[in-house]
Amino acid sequence: MQTKTRVNAGVAATGALVLMLAGCSTGGGDTGSSSLTIGSMTVPQSLDPAEAMGSALPYFQAVYDTLVKREPDGGYTPMLATEWTYDESLTELTLTLRDDVTFDDGTPFDAEAVKANLERFRDGGGGQAQTLALLEEVEAVDGTTAVLHLAQPNPAMLYYLSDAAGLMANPAAFDGDSLTTDPDGTGPYELDKGRTAVGTTWAYTRAEDYWGEDLPYEEIAINLFDNENAIVNGVRTGQINAALLQDVDQQAVAETDPDVATQPQAIDYQGIILFDRDGHITPELAEPGVRQAINHAIDRETMLEQLRDGQGEVTNQIFGTESDAYDPELDTYYDHDPERARELLADAGYPDGFELTLPRMSQIVTDPMATSLQSDLAEIGIDLTWDNLDQGSALNSIFTEQAYPGMVMNNAQLAEDWVTVTELVLPGTFNFFGATDDTIEDLVETIRSAPEGEAADEVRALNRHLVEQGWFVPFYRMTYLHVSDGTVDVEPQSGMAVPSLYNYAPAE
Amino acid sequence: MTSFILRRLGSGLLLLVVISALAYLLLSLPGTDVGRHVLGPAAPQDAVDAHNAGLGLDRPVAVRYLDWLTSALQGDLGRSWFTSEDVSLALANRLPVTFSLMIGVTLVTAVVSFGLGVWAGVRRGAVDRAVQLVSVFGYALPGFLVTLIIVLVFAVRLGWFPAIGYTPFSRSPGGWLATVTLPVLSLSVAGIAGVAQQVRSSVIDVMGRDYVRTLRARGLPTSRVVFRHVLRNAATPGLTVLGMQFVGLLGGAVIVEQIFGLPGIGAMTVQYTTRGDIPVIMGVVMVSVIGVILINLLVDVLVGWLNPKARVA
Repeated sequence: MQTKTRVNAGVAATGALVLMLAGCSTGGGDTGSSSLTIGSMTVPQSLDPAEAMGSALPYFQAVYDTLVKREPDGGYTPMLATEWTYDESLTELTLTLRDDVTFDDGTPFDAEAVKANLERFRDGGGGQAQTLALLEEVEAVDGTTAVLHLAQPNPAMLYYLSDAAGLMANPAAFDGDSLTTDPDGTGPYELDKGRTAVGTTWAYTRAEDYWGEDLPYEEIAINLFDNENAIVNGVRTGQINAALLQDVDQQAVAETDPDVATQPQAIDYQGIILFDRDGHITPELAEPGVRQAINHAIDRETMLEQLRDGQGEVTNQIFGTESDAYDPELDTYYDHDPERARELLADAGYPDGFELTLPRMSQIVTDPMATSLQSDLAEIGIDLTWDNLDQGSALNSIFTEQAYPGMVMNNAQLAEDWVTVTELVLPGTFNFFGATDDTIEDLVETIRSAPEGEAADEVRALNRHLVEQGWFVPFYRMTYLHVSDGTVDVEPQSGMAVPSLYNYAPAE
Repeated sequence: MTSFILRRLGSGLLLLVVISALAYLLLSLPGTDVGRHVLGPAAPQDAVDAHNAGLGLDRPVAVRYLDWLTSALQGDLGRSWFTSEDVSLALANRLPVTFSLMIGVTLVTAVVSFGLGVWAGVRRGAVDRAVQLVSVFGYALPGFLVTLIIVLVFAVRLGWFPAIGYTPFSRSPGGWLATVTLPVLSLSVAGIAGVAQQVRSSVIDVMGRDYVRTLRARGLPTSRVVFRHVLRNAATPGLTVLGMQFVGLLGGAVIVEQIFGLPGIGAMTVQYTTRGDIPVIMGVVMVSVIGVILINLLVDVLVGWLNPKARVA
């Protein structure tokens, strides 16, 4: 009898303990509508705008405003700049600024602050400093007027001013490196240093007297994770309010939970970028027929089904569906036709195929993908060898040593055509051998010097030309999944995987 | 004993310097372009070179190591190259998380495994077979699978515990207990299985010794014989394994910390090592080595205290 009493007491105590623990703080984040906890796998290098990257923008948007605001549909609306106009040559961009904004220490936000920020970003050596490479100088005409003088027209300038380059910090904080962990901007929130653990959690509380319209949350926390399994569990238990899932297995788990709200968005495309279109490393790739043969050899439908459970859309083009360049016909320009691929190889003078070596980073090129591509290319006689590279040395081998003729990458499909042209087509990072031809040069010059939105035909022609020439070997656009615990409505951001911080609101 | 401890601490210090030099050298082997990694593929090469120079990576490894060592001896472990976080602060934030797990797992493992081992060793028969069966089962189960099942059942399905995150003890003791319970449970399964087997074998061995028979013949209660005499002699192998497991938990914590989204140094080690973030990795290496040295010393002292014959001269 005594034993039974003890057992009952033990069970009761255990139950009480469980109840007590269940009611305790979970450490993941509050779930009330006045607070928002976002799960993220992107880590900012620092909170200094000079080191900002577009993919980590939400960390910065909490504490800094941009000159121009980019709306969810990709359109531009006023933020710190209320108006903007180009001159006829498209090399002078005049910004009219708000006159009622100050930083916390009373330093006014004005044209001098814009000049200081933009020139610092350009010269600061950050990962996206090159986006302002064409900026010659910023002229502070008066307190509310700044003129950006460009070396040549840049159709993506407004995009950049709504992105990392447009983040405005207090020039009084530029000395030293305090901005790295102690941001000083005019944004809607302030970093809560007491609750922030850099590398783990960034916590923000609403800024008093914010000049603009308050965002709906009193507090925001962005929690960093290194795997989506934990994020999904966090969303399912309400410890994370919203997140983005890229992994199809985790997407499937989230979709089976009725309490998790999901919203798909096709954003990044996966495919091979061929750097060596002039045949410096692999001479065969200088032949358009060879590049076309590779495109015909890839069985995209099977890859999409096998590698991503069909979550995506097959495509042959690098431009996104929301861009002017997008042409639906080009999504299926190259059908899976090994016979045709072999003919193209033979016509190009390589009937027996050739050897191709590509770098492999296991995070992107999984075992099934590596095998699939090897098998597809072997069928037309191309012997694909993978060089396994670790995360630390891969970028060095590929971009610094320029040791490979191409690589498999995930790339964003932006709504802004010129960003894609700059990053992928013009000589530069992803075209480090500087490949080009007359058609591309003519079209690029026309697009560059055309007023906004008036070069749609040319950019579409450029897209078609790139596809016809087999400059790239895109496989498919991948469907990502925005998930929430049901308390948050998330509006996807056009052309971006990570929604802007302005796109979150309590669920209706 | 005092001279023994001082000698061990002295050799530990030497070990610390040697390992720090080796680790720095290995981490600095050519191949990782930190500037390129930080700035991304789109950054121009001159910006990458300037970034590397800013980090001092254009200087010889020996000079960089001596700089790091000098700063470290003054308590400055530097800043992360990738997130700008202060390394000392990062370790201070993350160590309590991992230590919570390690200490919790060690306590749970010690209590449960010694209990099971003694029970099986003394009672033998069906109890012994059951304990052995459970031990083999617990040892054979993959750790990540155990963790996934535990989080799915007790956090996601039943909602008894949080699925992710960590609450510091200083903020909420109850919250802390809630956030570490499932991770500790996950990590303890294999440990309990391993240590229980060791304790069981030792207890059986010691129970068969002449002096135990003599004690029992004198009419001492079994509990007194077991807990005062047998366990004192049988504890050594179990304690040694427990000490080794404590050190091994640094590695085992990686997966559990990832699954539970715990900001500990296990997950941190993986993230920062793959990026080549030398200041952070060096900080983790130093903490780990110090931990190993102290735990080994503690185990030696404890074993010596329990069993004078095992004392090292």
